[in-house]
Amino acid sequence: MKKSRQMFARIAALMLSLTLAFSLVACGGGSSSTGGGTSTGGGTAGGDEGDTVVVGILHSKTGAMAISEQAVIDAEILAIEEINASGGVLGKQIEYIEEDGASDPATFATKAEKLVSQDKVVTVFGCWTSSSRKAVKSVFEDYESLLWYPVQYEGMEQSPNIIYTGAAPNQQIVPAVEYLLDNGYTKFFLIGSDYVFPRTANMIITAQVKAAGAEIVGEEYAAMDQTDFASIITKIEAAKPDIIVNTLNGTGNVSFFKQMAEKNYTAAEYPTMSFSIAEEEVATIGPDILKDHMVSWNYYQTTDTPENEDFVAAYKARWGANRVTSDPAEAAYDGVYLWKAAVEKAGSFEVAAVLEVIRTGEISFQAPEGLVTIDGATQHLSKPVRIGVIGADGLIEEVYATPEPVAPDPYLKGYQWAVDANIQPLE
Amino acid sequence: MPIRKVSSKATSKVTGTAAAAAAAADATTGATTGKKSLLQRLAKSAGSPVVFAIIVIGLGVLPLLYSSGAIDSTAMIIFSGKCIALAILAIGIDLIWGYTGMLSLGQGLFFALGGYCMAMHLKMVATGGNITEFMHTGGLSELPIIWRPFLTFPATLVLIIVVPAVVGGLVGFFIFRNRVKGVFFSIISQALTWAAFSLFMATSPWTNGNTGITEIKSVFGSIRGDANLDHLYMLFYVSLGVLVLVFILATLLTRTKFGKLLIAIRDGENRTYFSGYSVSRYKNTIYVISAVLAGIGGALFVNFNGSISPSVMTISYSIMMVVWVAIGGRGTIIGAVIGTLLINFGEYTIASGSMIQAWQFIVGGIFVVVILFFKGGIVGIFTSQLPAAWRWLQARLGGRGQGKGADQGAGGQLAASQAGSSADAEVG
Repeated sequence: MKKSRQMFARIAALMLSLTLAFSLVACGGGSSSTGGGTSTGGGTAGGDEGDTVVVGILHSKTGAMAISEQAVIDAEILAIEEINASGGVLGKQIEYIEEDGASDPATFATKAEKLVSQDKVVTVFGCWTSSSRKAVKSVFEDYESLLWYPVQYEGMEQSPNIIYTGAAPNQQIVPAVEYLLDNGYTKFFLIGSDYVFPRTANMIITAQVKAAGAEIVGEEYAAMDQTDFASIITKIEAAKPDIIVNTLNGTGNVSFFKQMAEKNYTAAEYPTMSFSIAEEEVATIGPDILKDHMVSWNYYQTTDTPENEDFVAAYKARWGANRVTSDPAEAAYDGVYLWKAAVEKAGSFEVAAVLEVIRTGEISFQAPEGLVTIDGATQHLSKPVRIGVIGADGLIEEVYATPEPVAPDPYLKGYQWAVDANIQPLE
Repeated sequence: MPIRKVSSKATSKVTGTAAAAAAAADATTGATTGKKSLLQRLAKSAGSPVVFAIIVIGLGVLPLLYSSGAIDSTAMIIFSGKCIALAILAIGIDLIWGYTGMLSLGQGLFFALGGYCMAMHLKMVATGGNITEFMHTGGLSELPIIWRPFLTFPATLVLIIVVPAVVGGLVGFFIFRNRVKGVFFSIISQALTWAAFSLFMATSPWTNGNTGITEIKSVFGSIRGDANLDHLYMLFYVSLGVLVLVFILATLLTRTKFGKLLIAIRDGENRTYFSGYSVSRYKNTIYVISAVLAGIGGALFVNFNGSISPSVMTISYSIMMVVWVAIGGRGTIIGAVIGTLLINFGEYTIASGSMIQAWQFIVGGIFVVVILFFKGGIVGIFTSQLPAAWRWLQARLGGRGQGKGADQGAGGQLAASQAGSSADAEVG
């Protein structure tokens, strides 16, 4: 009996170590990751050897941000499939490896490193939140790789290894405030979620509003997951603003607008201008509540271009008739096509060569939102700006658009009021 | 005969009819059980260091594999470094949960404290001691006082230990003095972490809110790219060395009188209390130790990750840490290491592409199965369940006519594995 026990302990130790060793070896060998393959076969594991080229898609598929980022993933996959169907890039079919950032910046950093260093993808389309972008920024810079970031953000950033296909503040916030000022609004109330985008946005808005001689009558921040807006609504009632500028994000929007609706406040009493409500969010919150409120984006599902007609039709055909397209999804879609254009112009998948042609400022794409061009100096897009009003059907109708695409200015260097208010990064 | 004795001891654990039955059983067969547990102890004391040595060697050869061209990227080495940091944290969780029976759902707090201490120092290195971009945006014009100590490396090293220790000590002092235990302790630990999360978010000019501290290099400089390979290797081996040191110290700790008392507190807090031991002081001490280990883990993690954000203080992250330990096997230091490495490496290699959602179910499934059937985790399978199955098989094949007793034995082992070393403690 003793002997068998002793023997067993040995066998146990052996099996345990074997299991571990095996799993370690399996991990260590791991450059042959395949991931969410496309319809194309192809046997290459990375880079651009053979008939295929591998790109990475890095968004949150789990966690709090998954609900937003799925639309962006779907748009990117749609673009890849369209490009593959029409012959690929430089004669190669695109394969993609999908990684999950799990709504956690540290996971984003780990997975970004895996994609660029281990899987050796030629470029990555990814991120949504500013915190995830900041976490992966140094990864892309250190490996001299390339990230296409598809969401409007707070600006004040310009990485040589990131192409920003969403709006900079001067392509969403500044024109919207200008529009409000032009339409006679003078008492602004700022409300936002408590993180970097709303705080930076409100800093910009405050400078702009004050420079125009109008007034900020209140500035309030809600926790990211706050559901009770009673005290904020009381402050709004006391301040009597004639416009509320809303930079709430995520679930905060749902609670805020529902509680405003419970008090029977409509857009007639308290009109709002929102920067984080697109078609997807309208569907979640309810068009009846959001009817007649204003938003500012570069693109709406209703945007009237022939390219958009095709895009919306293709998106619905691929992902379901009840799906809606939105600004971030469209910017992500543009990113894939802009990458294709840059690669074809460079004649190479090499990041250095691609960046070189991007910096000439000649890479453009006739996008669903209109003509977008990568600005060589800032690596942001010049794009049209549109103010929209939410309709009872949940779609957004454009009420104003800039006549020409607006050039990006992530640091607001071209605005005297911003310079006067010292909205500048550190030297 | 011996089989029957083991089973009766184990079954009494299941039913919880307590010490009387077990003591009686042990008393009648004192000699046999004594020898058995001695053997078991021997197997245990030899098995765990051997497995740990294999793990350390497995991790240690990664840089060599890269240098020799067997693996073609350093991403795996950097990721292994993060896992080493997490394993150190997991050992801390095991000490308070597996050994002392206090389920802390807030270790992410101490992980964050250690991590932020290190990150603040590294950010100061990156800016050359000047204020950061986010302080400027937040309206600050000079370096806040809380950042000043992190200008020097020695002070940072001290603070990485001291900050989690002081916070853990203060929190523990009030919790344990008031004899808060069980689920209430878990809830308080979680609530504290959540409060800290909110605090870090709200003080964004000082902490950069939810973005956290980003764009930092390791203490040895950049670790990415072939030009910085020696930095990476140095950092990696230092971290591995810390893990080995922590493992040895934690193992030794559990064998001291202090360690035995922790197990006694877990298995019978009131009895320990009435035996004249100041339970709250022991609990507070081990809580501080686990906080320090989490802090060290966080500090190492930041070096590999190049950023830290308050997301490490979310509830789900702290719960995930507990899951690693549960799957590996609580109450065994090696279990914490095995669980952490297996789940993280699994996530890294498997959860990609179409397997992303499936992985969530795999981890969830493993966790449920472990809780239901393998309460000793992976380690428990090898130290209890397989031996039980082996004996059962032997009894069947041996045809000794003890089928019934052996069956009982195998069943009882399921729970006995949960008790783990507690059986030894009570016998001894």
